[in-house]
Formats: sequence, C-alpha cells, structure tokens
Amino acid sequence: MAVHVFGIRHHGPGSARSLAKALAELQPDCVLVEGPVEASGETHWVAHEQMRPPVALLVYRPDSPLRSVFYPFAAFSPEWVALTYAAQTRVPARFMDLPLVKWLALPPEATEAEPGEDPMKELARVAGCTDFERWWERLVEDRGDAAVFPAIHEAMGALREHGGRALSREEELREAAMRQEIRGAVKEGHERIAVACGAWHAPVLIDMPAAKHDAALLKGLDKVKVQVTWTPWSHGRLMRASGYGAGIESPGWYEHLWSTPHDMSIRWVSKVVQLLRAQDLDASSAQVIDTVRLAETLATLRSRRMVGLDEINESARTVLLFGDDAPLRLIDNKLIVGETLGEVPPESSAVPVQKDFEATLKRLRLKLELNDKLLDLDLRKDGDRERSHLIHRLTLLSIEWGTQMDGRGKLGTFYEIWTLRWEPEFAVELVGAAQWGNTIKAAAGERVRHAAASATTLQHLTALLEPVLKANLPAVAPGVLDRLSQIAALAPDVGHLLDTLPPLANIIRYGDVRQTDRDTVRRVAVELIARACAGVPVACGSVNDDAARETVNRIAAAHSAIALLDDEPHRALWLETLRRIADLPGVHGLAGGRCARLLLDAGALTIDEASARASQSLSPGVDPLAGAAWIEGFLEGSGTVLRVNEALWALVDEWVRGLTAGNFQNMLPLLRRTFSTFAKPERRQLGERVKSGGGATPSMQTPAAIDAAFAARALPLLTKILGLDQ
Amino acid sequence: MAHELRQPAEVQLAEELAELKKTDDKPRPPSWAMSPWAVATYLMGGPLPNGFIVSPKYIGPRRLMEIAISTLATDRALLLFGVPGAAKSRVSEHLSAAISGDSTRIVQGTAGTAEESIRYGWNYARLLAEGPSWNAIVPSPVMRSMQEGRLVRVEELTRIPSDVQDSLITILSEKALPVPELNAEVRAVRGLNVIATANNRDRGVNELSSALKRRFNTVVLPVPDTLDEEVDIVRRRVTDLGRALEIPAKEPALAEVRRLVTLFRELRNGVTEDGKTKLKQPTGSLSTAEAISVVNSGLALAAFFGDGKMTAADVAASVQGAVVKDPVQDGVAWREYLEIVVKERDGWRDLYRACRQLAD
Repeated sequence: MAVHVFGIRHHGPGSARSLAKALAELQPDCVLVEGPVEASGETHWVAHEQMRPPVALLVYRPDSPLRSVFYPFAAFSPEWVALTYAAQTRVPARFMDLPLVKWLALPPEATEAEPGEDPMKELARVAGCTDFERWWERLVEDRGDAAVFPAIHEAMGALREHGGRALSREEELREAAMRQEIRGAVKEGHERIAVACGAWHAPVLIDMPAAKHDAALLKGLDKVKVQVTWTPWSHGRLMRASGYGAGIESPGWYEHLWSTPHDMSIRWVSKVVQLLRAQDLDASSAQVIDTVRLAETLATLRSRRMVGLDEINESARTVLLFGDDAPLRLIDNKLIVGETLGEVPPESSAVPVQKDFEATLKRLRLKLELNDKLLDLDLRKDGDRERSHLIHRLTLLSIEWGTQMDGRGKLGTFYEIWTLRWEPEFAVELVGAAQWGNTIKAAAGERVRHAAASATTLQHLTALLEPVLKANLPAVAPGVLDRLSQIAALAPDVGHLLDTLPPLANIIRYGDVRQTDRDTVRRVAVELIARACAGVPVACGSVNDDAARETVNRIAAAHSAIALLDDEPHRALWLETLRRIADLPGVHGLAGGRCARLLLDAGALTIDEASARASQSLSPGVDPLAGAAWIEGFLEGSGTVLRVNEALWALVDEWVRGLTAGNFQNMLPLLRRTFSTFAKPERRQLGERVKSGGGATPSMQTPAAIDAAFAARALPLLTKILGLDQ
Repeated sequence: MAHELRQPAEVQLAEELAELKKTDDKPRPPSWAMSPWAVATYLMGGPLPNGFIVSPKYIGPRRLMEIAISTLATDRALLLFGVPGAAKSRVSEHLSAAISGDSTRIVQGTAGTAEESIRYGWNYARLLAEGPSWNAIVPSPVMRSMQEGRLVRVEELTRIPSDVQDSLITILSEKALPVPELNAEVRAVRGLNVIATANNRDRGVNELSSALKRRFNTVVLPVPDTLDEEVDIVRRRVTDLGRALEIPAKEPALAEVRRLVTLFRELRNGVTEDGKTKLKQPTGSLSTAEAISVVNSGLALAAFFGDGKMTAADVAASVQGAVVKDPVQDGVAWREYLEIVVKERDGWRDLYRACRQLAD
C-alpha cells in the first residue's frame, strides 16, 4: 500500500512518540502533514539550526494582514516530528490542508464551527470517563508505540459513523482537499507516503471516495493571495485558555514528557523542588523520594501505565507542601505551562517590516523576552534615544511592548524607564503593520497620518501628539497639528480645547523638535488660546459643582501651560479672560475663587483688590454655599502657601478679624469645609501661627541685610542653571 | 454485644468487609487485610463483581481517598487535616478497619496526653516487686501496634504537647521504640503505620515540629463541595444514627434536611447559595457533623414530644445553638440572617417564626 495514514492528537507527546517510531519503521519517501498547503515551500526551515520550537506558521492576506491563521508547533507536536523526520532524511514534506487561498476567502459563517473536540468527548463518555483528556492520555498517549494507530482509526471510524454529528461545510472541504493532495502524491510516484493528520480525519483519508467527488466539492471557491511566514511562539500561547482551539492544558509538562525519556517523574519532581527552594520553601531530597514513591503508588492504584501530572501534583501537595494549595500555583505557571519562547531564523520571515524590526533589534542590542524586563534609558545618549524611539513607534502601531514607569527618584526629562514584555501575538500586529510601510518608522508614520486624518475629536488628536514627537516622526507632526487646528475650530466643548494646551506647551518647552516644527506648534497653540479665551467664561457660569470642578482644574492646567509658552500678548489675553470670569455675574464660586487666586499669584490683582473680592463673595448677603465654594476655589490645596505667603495670610487674617461675632459663627462651617481639605500638619501649623498671635512667621520677622557683593558671586552660576545665558 | 451504644466499624460492617475480601484478587501490601483497590471500594462504596453493594463511607473526591491509601501503602504516616466535622476521624476509623481489621488502637490527643500513651508506662506494683522487666511494662496502643504490625490512630495530634508529639519521630523514621530501662528496643513488624487527625482551626495550639511534619503526608479534607453532596451526607448519617439509637421517628423529609444544610452552608460561606447576598460569618465552624447532630436532635424531639414528624420548631433550638457560639458576635450574625434571608425566602416562614420566638 502506498499511503499510510497516522491519526494523531495535535500536540500530544505520546502521539509524537508513536509517530516517530512508526516513521522509523516505515521509512517513507514522502511525508504529508495536516497544515496549509501554501506553506509547503517553508518546510525546509524546520531543520535550520536557528529554528527552536515553539514556533508557528503565520498565513495572512497581504491586503488585510490581520485576517490571518496560525499553525503552532511545539517540539512535542506530532506534526513537528513528522516535518523534522522528513527534513533530516531529506524526504519531501508537504502540507495538505485546504489551501488557505480558498479558506480565507470563505464567507465567515462557513468557518465558524470549531472542529474536532466534541465527538471525542462523546467517545470518552461512552467509555465511562468524564474527562476526555485524561481518558485519551491513559489509553493512547501513555503507550507511545506504533501499534496504536489502527485502533485509533477504528474508534474514530465508528464515531464518525454513529456519533451523529454532521460535518460542517468547512470540514468537508478540508477533508476533500487533503484527499486531493494525497492523490497528487500518489500520482507523482511516491511509494511509501506517510500522512499525519488529526485522528478525527484519519478514517476518511484511508477510505477515499472517487476523486471526481472531491474535485466537484472544491470547484469554484474564491481565491485570495496569501503569504506565509514563520514566527516565534510560546508555550503560554499553546494553552486552550489563550483562545487557541486545539490548545492543551499543560505544555510545560508535555515538553518534559517529550524531552525526558527516562526517570521522567524523578526529574520533574526535582524541578519542582528546585523551584520551591528558590522561593525559600524547604524541600529535602528525602521528600523528593517520598513524592515520587507516592506518585507511583497512586498511578498503580489508578491502573495507569505511567505516572501522570495529576498524580505528581497530588503527591507534591501531600508530601512537599503539607496540603497547601498556594505554592502549586507557582509550579503551575513556571513549570506546567512553562515560559519557553521559540526562535526562528531571521531569513525565514518574509515580511519586510518584520525584517526591519529584527535588524533594528540587533542594532540596538534589544532582546524579545516573555518576562518583564526593566529598561532604563538616558535620552541624552544616542543609543538609548533610538531605543526609546523604537518603543514609542511600536506603541503607535498598537504593539504595546513597553509600559512606561514613573521615573522614580530620577527627575528630569532625560530619563525613561520601561518595562518590556513581549507577547507572541505582537508578531501578528507586526505583520499587520506591513500594510502601513516597510520599515517600523515608515509604518508608524503612515499609521499616525491615517489616524490623524480620520480623527474627529480633539482628545484623539491630543493623545496622538505626544507619542508622535517622542517617537521622533518629524515628518508627520505638522500634519497632525494642522488637523488639530482644523478640528479646534469646530470643537463644541471648550474643555477639550483647554486640555490640548498643556501637551503643546510641553512640546515647545521641553520637546526635542526642530525649529520649524516648534514654530508650527506655537502657531497652533496661540490659535488655541484665542479660541479658548472666547469660550471659557461661558463654561464657568450656570454649571453644577462637578462640572465646575472639572473646568477649574482645566483652567489651572492651561494657566501653567500658558505661563510656559512665554508669549506676553497671549498671556495678557488669558489674564484678561480670567478677570472676566472672576467678574462674571452668576459665576460658579469655585471658578470665581480660583481665577481670583490665579490673578493674584500672577500679579494681575493687588492684594487690596483680592481682599475686596473676598469680602464681597463672603458677605452675609451672598448665598452661603456660593461663598463656601469661592473660598474653596481661592484657597484650595494651598495650606502651606497660606502659612508662608505673607500677603495671603494677611488677607485672610484681616477678613476673619473683620467679621462680627454673629457673622463669624455663620461663616465657620464654610471655612471649615475648605480648611479640612488641607493636610493635617498644615492645619496644625496654621493653628500654631494663629495661636502665636497671628503675626508674621519667625523666619520673616527680621529681614537680614543683603550683602550685594556676596550675592553677586552666585549670579553667574544661577544664570547658567536657569539657562538665561543662551 | 447488642447493648453497645456504638460498635467499631469492623464489627458494624463485618459483612461488607468479608464480602470485599472474598472478591479481592489483587496483590496486598504486607500485613494488609485487603488490597488497596478493595480499601478504596470500601471507602467510596460501589457494587462488587458478585453483586454485593458496598455502602459509601466517605462522600467526597475519590482522589483524596486514593492519596490516603497510597500514602499508607508507601509506609509513610498519614495526617488528615480539616475543619471540625469534615469526617477526619471517620475516614481514619474506616481506613484502619479495612486495612488492619481493627480500628480500636487509638490515642486520643489532649493537652494532657503524656508520653506513656505513645511509648509505654509501668505497672508500679510489678516494678517495685520485680524491678524493670518486660512484665512490668504497660504498652501503649502505639507499642502494641508496632508488635502486631497494625495501624494506630492518633486523634487530634495538634492538641498533644510538642515534646510528647516528638516521641513519634523515632517510631516513624526508625520504626523502633527504644526501652532504655531494659537496654532493649521494640522493633515494628511490617504493617505498622500511623493515621493522625488534626484540626485546621487548632493549627496554632501545638504546631507540629518540622521534623515530625516531614514524616507525615498531609491530606486536607474539604467541606462538601455542593449542596446536593452535603444533603446526601446528612441524610445518610442521620438515617444510620437513627437506626443505631432506635429513635422511633420517621425518616426526615428530604426538603427539611435540604433547608437545614442550605442554612449551614450559607452561614459557613458568608454568602447565600444564589451568590447574591453577603452575610456575616459566625465564629463556629458549622460543619456537616453539626448539621447532622441538629437533624438528629430534631428527630428525637419530634419522636418523643411531637407527632414523630420533624418540624421547624423541633430544629430551631439546636440550630440556634449550633450557630450562636459567641452570644454577642454570633447573635448579630444570626439575627441578621433571620431577617434578611430566612424571613424573605419562600416556604421558610415557619422556620423564621420558630427561630424568632427563641431569639427574642
């Protein structure tokens, strides 16, 4: 017989072992594996010395790369075993599943049904076992010999005949395609063809219907162009929990089963013990012995041929962990799932943007790791700056490789601290990025341009701005800014307008942009200030407390931003606006108070004026709640300032002293509301100052005579520090 | 023997044990009365090849019993951990009955347990008359089991003072008990092993030394997983006990048992079964064993002072007794539960009224 079918379980180490034995016996001259036909040209990479599973074949449509299909392989996958066998013995190896060309073009409803699992569960249930995995392991995986295949085929045949589950159209098509490939191999004159496929499909590949039937089925399917590439995969992504249909529960354990033919349980328990010791949990060698013995006894009691993961876990919990479950979770993550990340030879990936990415990684000496890794970048150094650019560009391409941490302890804009963590699915995004450009930089730029063009709100654009500048994409910045000013003209909400000011000011002040860009940013910023000044006063009247608080915070942030811009005419315009708000009849107290305070701090309001406003707003005729809001806005968050700022202190002090006894009593609850927002030490210090007679603070009591000559010596250094000499 | 209040398992269930031995054709570890497979069947229940039905002794995960039996087969000592009433002593009794045919070799652990109960004591009259000799020695249950190659049970291991606990170490690791007075030692015959039980809540009383802990395999017995499982346990045990105590009452209605078990579970877990309402948890353990005793005393009340049919009024007093261990804290939790849950639930109105009368 020319065709030998081997029904396997995807990612079953026992199946893999059986298959390896069967192949060694058969010595086939052609190997066919369930997998995308289009990838047949890529099978030779399997034997490449830089190829380390787990890896996956990624098949995608170049015109919409996110419509893609993955075929993962681990070292213990039978399919991988078949491919390696073929590569090592220099026998042609091919994939035979329905060409994705057709599959990716199928209407979505045809691909919805998840094939495979259910009928098997039915079989396990008939056998009196609730857990399919365990049943299959006990019956098939534990054997590891080649004689198991005919039995599997018979079982599956019976199941297909009597299981009562209708085949989906997709499954029918796939099986037809597999048969066509097998016929092709026979026609080519191969004499011993080994076919490795999921056990479910095995029976229909052995008893084939007429070729005409299959050809008719496959006729007339739409074709799309696809591309194929190898990509690194991880054990975590092989898990069923990760959403992979043919996933498994314990890749790390399977890997161990596959790579450790002898003393399997002893070696596993030793790994467990080492892990526990690394966590400062005691575990002696005597306990290893006892654990293994218990596991073996349990396996005997359960009539299992081999010790399974259940037995080992239960023994470990009983002997090593004194019945405690918590440390098992650690074992689960580190060992049972495992943290292995595969590798592929760089030449094997076909997407230019991916190649560019790999080259960039190499140049910048960065590695892809699954665990969190801390990266500390000093942006004054060229290499570090480029690394930062790369991470920001990836973020723009929605590859969230790095998470930026607060620059703990290190102040200043020179530093960026990142936690890097590579997820294998980023590979998909990376291929997806191919539609935007052929290098990371070009793709990120194009993506931003596209996002800016389709953005309709100010928030979106503002959110884009900073990353664009941090990712060093000067070519696209002006486009984003233009779009920003277009949208700003139409923006209905002045709040968002205010929100855009701080990022813009930051860019101008600290940003690393060229002079021309800086001018563009400034032009846009100035324009925005003018628009904001027109709209803000309206936003401060007739609003409720929450809205007022939000607006006030925005005003404060915008105020600091405008101060940074260092543009006198617009600052004057802004201060003028603040005054208008403060004078606005019916203004919300919070806004009125805060504006008065900002004006006072900016020197646009004298202390007498401020004091007059205070007593107006707090006079008995005014609604007490409005008065309370005013004083809250005026003093909010400035307990310490109040204590050390002589003018402010005097203002409040005089106002309180001026109150009549009755009024004071009325005012007290309102004042309390504001003062209770101060920190406790601040309140205590304020209280002490009041107790000591309310005079000036001791430090201010005797202004020392200034030695002008002595002070002048410090000036050159100060000038330099403040950057005034430039 | 019919007057005994409660017979040991091997006498009560002699028939089951005999049937199991008859059909048991699997290999037995040295000195075991039956094979590990048969022991597992004895504990979990099930039909035998000859059609005889073995009753279940432990209702819960089978794998736990498998671990316990395997532990004893590897001649490591077994420590059963769990909250009070999680069937620890029951499992230990039935294991010894099945494996050694004798569940009466037992050391009851208390704060006053002395070394003599684990090693040996002296018959002082003999000691004075004859001087130290084997005749003057009073062997402990442990020493006897060593000589006969049987299982010995240590109940409430963590209540025993630490220094006394540690006298088990030599016995467990060397399988020998030195008798320095006679310059000799007792060496254990194959088949000796120890089943100890300890209480989760007492962990702090006399925590095991790590040397001793290392010699035990720990199996934690959980409280029943599901409501149905727990109802099943309570119903079976109540029926068994009722028969033993000859209470002339009808078997309690399943609905009534279900209601009580629900009440116990909800208070124990601090949340209603539907998961919607959070509850205060009383300080007591509210174990299955307590639910059993509540139903039992309810049955007795109904039998002797009622019409033989257990009603809400019959159980109310003992329920309250089981829940309210600390009059202040638990009282609040109980009253809150009554008002929030019992009062509002369909068909629980009678229980509410009965409990409410007592609570006031």
